Amino acid sequence: MTINRREFIKANAIAAAAAVAGVSVPAIASNLITSSDITKLKWDKAACRFCGTGCSVNVGVMDGKVVATHGDIKSPVNKGLSCVKGYFLSKIMYGKDRLTSPLLRMTNGKYDKEGEFTPISWDQAFDVMAEKAKDALKKDGPKAVGMFGSGQWTVQEGYAAVKLYKAGFRSNNIDPNARHCMASAVGGFMRTFGIDEPMGCYDDLEYADAFVLWGSNMAEMHPILWTRLTDRRLSAPHVKVAVLSTFEHRSFDLADNGMVFTPQTDLAILNYIAHYIIKTGRVNKDFVNKHTNFRLGETDIGYGLRPEHELEQKAKNNGKTKGSSTPISFDEYAKFVSTYTVEYTAKLSGVPEHKLEALAELYADPKIKVTSFWTMGFNQHTRGVWANNLCYNIHLLTGKISEPGNSPFSLTGQPSACGTAREVGTFSHRLPADMVVKNPKHRAIAEKIWDLPEGTIPAKPGYHAVLQNRMLKDGKLNFYWVQCNNNMQAAANINEEVYPGYRNPKNFIVVSDPYPTVTAQAADLILPTAMWVEKEGMYGNAERRTQSWYQMVEAPKGATSDMWQVVEFSKRFKIEDVWPEELIAKKPEVRGKTLFDVLYKDSSVGKFSLDEIPEDRLNHESRDFGFYIQKGLFEEYASFGRGHAHDLAPYDRYHQERGLRWPVVNGKETKWRFKEGSDPYCKPGSGWDFYGKKDGRAIIFALPYEPAAESPDEEYDLWLSTGRVLEHWHSGSMTQRVPELYKAMPDALVYMHPDDAKSRGMRRGDLVKLISRRGEVQTRVETRGRNKPPVGLVFMPWFDASRLVNKVTLDATDPLSKETDYKKCAIKIVKV
Amino acid sequence: MMSQKKQSSSEQEKDKTHEYHVASLVAYAMPEQVSAVEAAINIIEGAEVHAISDKGKIVLTIEGDSHKGIGKKMDLLRVHKGLINLSPVYHQVLDENKEENHQKIK
Repeated sequence: MTINRREFIKANAIAAAAAVAGVSVPAIASNLITSSDITKLKWDKAACRFCGTGCSVNVGVMDGKVVATHGDIKSPVNKGLSCVKGYFLSKIMYGKDRLTSPLLRMTNGKYDKEGEFTPISWDQAFDVMAEKAKDALKKDGPKAVGMFGSGQWTVQEGYAAVKLYKAGFRSNNIDPNARHCMASAVGGFMRTFGIDEPMGCYDDLEYADAFVLWGSNMAEMHPILWTRLTDRRLSAPHVKVAVLSTFEHRSFDLADNGMVFTPQTDLAILNYIAHYIIKTGRVNKDFVNKHTNFRLGETDIGYGLRPEHELEQKAKNNGKTKGSSTPISFDEYAKFVSTYTVEYTAKLSGVPEHKLEALAELYADPKIKVTSFWTMGFNQHTRGVWANNLCYNIHLLTGKISEPGNSPFSLTGQPSACGTAREVGTFSHRLPADMVVKNPKHRAIAEKIWDLPEGTIPAKPGYHAVLQNRMLKDGKLNFYWVQCNNNMQAAANINEEVYPGYRNPKNFIVVSDPYPTVTAQAADLILPTAMWVEKEGMYGNAERRTQSWYQMVEAPKGATSDMWQVVEFSKRFKIEDVWPEELIAKKPEVRGKTLFDVLYKDSSVGKFSLDEIPEDRLNHESRDFGFYIQKGLFEEYASFGRGHAHDLAPYDRYHQERGLRWPVVNGKETKWRFKEGSDPYCKPGSGWDFYGKKDGRAIIFALPYEPAAESPDEEYDLWLSTGRVLEHWHSGSMTQRVPELYKAMPDALVYMHPDDAKSRGMRRGDLVKLISRRGEVQTRVETRGRNKPPVGLVFMPWFDASRLVNKVTLDATDPLSKETDYKKCAIKIVKV
Repeated sequence: MMSQKKQSSSEQEKDKTHEYHVASLVAYAMPEQVSAVEAAINIIEGAEVHAISDKGKIVLTIEGDSHKGIGKKMDLLRVHKGLINLSPVYHQVLDENKEENHQKIK
C-alpha cells in the first residue's frame, strides 16, 4: 500500500473522529494513529490549557514544535473530542509577540517608573526585584509585599508560590484570580458541607433525567460537557433540560424550559422551589431528619464596597457577623420560604408561573434524577455564597445528592481553579487541603510539614484580590507580583480601582506573562514566561480530577516557567532578610541560609533525585535546581491531604493515568463523595455522611432575596451583564493571538434587544458609548446573533483589550466570598 | 509603551505559506436535520463527510492551508440551525517546505 504523507495524516484524522463517533470507516484509515514511527511525531498526553472541564489531549511534537493535537480517546472526560479552543491549542504558544526577555522600565540605563520598557538579563531582573521586595519588607514588613496568582498556575507553581509568601516572606497577601470566579462556590461548599468541591462527577451527565442550568451557558463555555449533555438528551427522550439566565443564549437551543429572569431574582426562584417542595409534600423526610440541620443566616450584609460607600454605611450587618447563623427548626424554615409564592416570584423575576412550576416539579418529583449546573451566574453575585447555599437546599430537601444523576454541580472556569487555587490553597486566607491561616491547629500542621518553627505563618488573612488593588492604590502594598493572569483587563472598575495602584510611584509591579498583555504593559518589570507543555505540571478540574503532563517542547529562548521564577527568586533572600531574630532563634540551623535552601532544596521538596526523570524527558527546571522539583513540590503538598479526605495518589501514577478523582484511597478514585459505598470516608451504616461537618449533617440555610448593589434607575436605565464567548477564553490574552479566533469574534459588541435599540434611535452596527457612574466604553451595537438579551438588559463580553468593559462595571463584591459581581450594574447607552 | 497590535492582514497572509492542515470533527445534528447538515458540509470547499452514525453523528474532515482557513469553515458550519454541536477531534499541520514530506512512504 502506498500512501503519501497528506493522505496518511488525513486517514489518521478520520480514524480518530470515527472512533469518537462510534462508526466504522474503510480499513485504510484504521489503526494508523499510533504508527508514529512513520510520521516521526512524538505523542504524549496533556491536560488542555483552557477551561475547567479538564479534557485530556494528545499532543504531537515534531522537530521541537507542537504540530498536532487530538482529543484523547482514553480520557473519561472528553472521550476523544475537543472544542474549538482545544483545536487551536497547538497555536497558542506560537503567537508572534511571545516575550523572550525580561523588560524593565528604564531611563538612561536605570530603573524609572516612567521609563520605557528595556530588555535586561534575568540576573538584572532578579536584582531589581529583590531590592524592591527587601525595601518594602524593611519599611512596612510582610504586609507590604503581595502576589496575584491564578487558577491557571499548575499545582506545583501555586504550591511553590504559597510557600514562598506564607512561610518565606510571612505574608498572606497572596490570592488567585480564581477569587473572581470560584470564591463564592468555595464559600457555599464550606458553609453547607464544611468541605470544598463538588460531591458528584461528570458521570452524572449520563445518569440524570433532568438538567437545570443556573447562570451557565454550557453550550459555549463548556462545549465538551454540553456534548455529553446533548448526547444524553437526544438518546433518552424522557430527559428534560431547563435553562435559566438573564438573557437568551446558545444553551436555550436545547432547552425544554428556557427562562429569562430579572438579575438577582435567582435567589427568589431558589426559595420558591424550596417552598414548592414543602407545599406539595415532597420533602424527603427520612433524609432531612438524618442528614441535615436548619439555620437562619444573617441578612443585610452589604455589598463588599469600600467602607465609606453609602451602601456600606446603610447596611446593618456588614461587620464580623455577616457570615453568622442561628439554628432553626424545619417548621421555621418552611415558614421562612412560604412567602416565596409562585405569584410573588413570577412577578419579581419576570418568569411566567407555569415555567416556574415546571422547573420546581423537576426537583420535587422523587422519580426524577436531577443535576444542577452553575458557573458565574451564581458565583459573580453579591449574594453568591447564598445562591450556592440555596441551590444545595433544594437538593438536600429532596435527598437528591451524591448519587449518580442527582447532583448539585458547581462548574469551574479555569483549568486548575480546583487543583491549584482551592486544593493548594493559594487564597489569602487559606492553606492546603481546606485549612485556613486563622486556625492555630491548621498553622501548626503546615509548620510541621514545612519543618518550620512555630509562629512562622501569620494568623491574619492577607489582602484578597479586590483588596490588593485597593491597597496598591492606597500605597500600602508596595511590592506586587502578578503571574499567569490578566487582571488589568479582568478586574472590575479598572479606572478607579486598578490602574492607579499599578502606576502609584510607591509601588513596584512585576508581571510574568508569555505575551504583552494590558496588565504586563501596566507593570514596571515584565518577566517572559513559559506556558503549558513547555513545562511539566498538573491541573485539577471541576470533578476533582488531578492530571499531569510532562514537558514536551522547549520554551522560546529567554522564557522560563512561573515555578522556576518563584524558586529562583527565593535564592536572593537570606533568612535574616525576611524573618525576625526571635523566629530564627527557634530554629538556629536556618541562620545564614537562603529561602531556596529552607523552603525547597533542604525541605522534603528537594528529596527526589534527577535519576527519577526519564532521560529522554525535557525538564529544564529540575536539572537547573538539581532535584526533581515538580515531584518534590507535589509530594510535599499531597502530604497535607492524605488521610484527611483529600487523598492524592503517588506522583508517578498520574503520569500513567488520564487523571484520578480525589480522594484516592487504596489506589481507587472516588466518584461520588458523602455516599456510603462510593466514598470510603463515610461511616459504615450512615447511608450519607457529610463528614465535613462534625455531626455529619449538611446545613439547609434560610436566606432571603436581597436586591442587587446597583439597579437601573431613570438616568442609568439598563442592566449590564458581562461574560465570555466561546471563541475567546477569559481575557483573550492567548486566544486573541490566534488570528482565526480573533476573526470569528473580532470585537466585543454590545448585545441589545431590537426594541431597546429602536427606542434610543440606534441601529445594528452603530457606534455607541456605554456609560456608568464610573466610566465609559465605546463599542458597536449588535441586535442579532446568538446572545439575545431581553428589553432592559445588555450583554458585553470582556475579552477585548481594546474595549475594556470593566471600566464601566462596579467593584461590588459578595461580602462573604469577596468575589466581584460582574453580572449586574446600571448603565446608559448613547450614540457617539 | 508597547502597543498590543492585532495581526495585520499581511501578517496573516504569511501564516498561510507552505502548510497543509487537516482537521477531523464530529458534528452533532438534530436527528431530523442530519441530511441538511450533511449537505451544508458538502458545499464547503475542502470539507468532506466520511461517515454518519445511526445517532446522527457526522464524521467529517476539513483541509486547508492554514489554521485560519479551517477555523473559518468551522464558523460557517457552526451557525447552521440544525447543528447542536461541532467538536474538533484531530488536527495536524504539515510544513510542506520540508522535502521529506513529498516522499512517498510505504
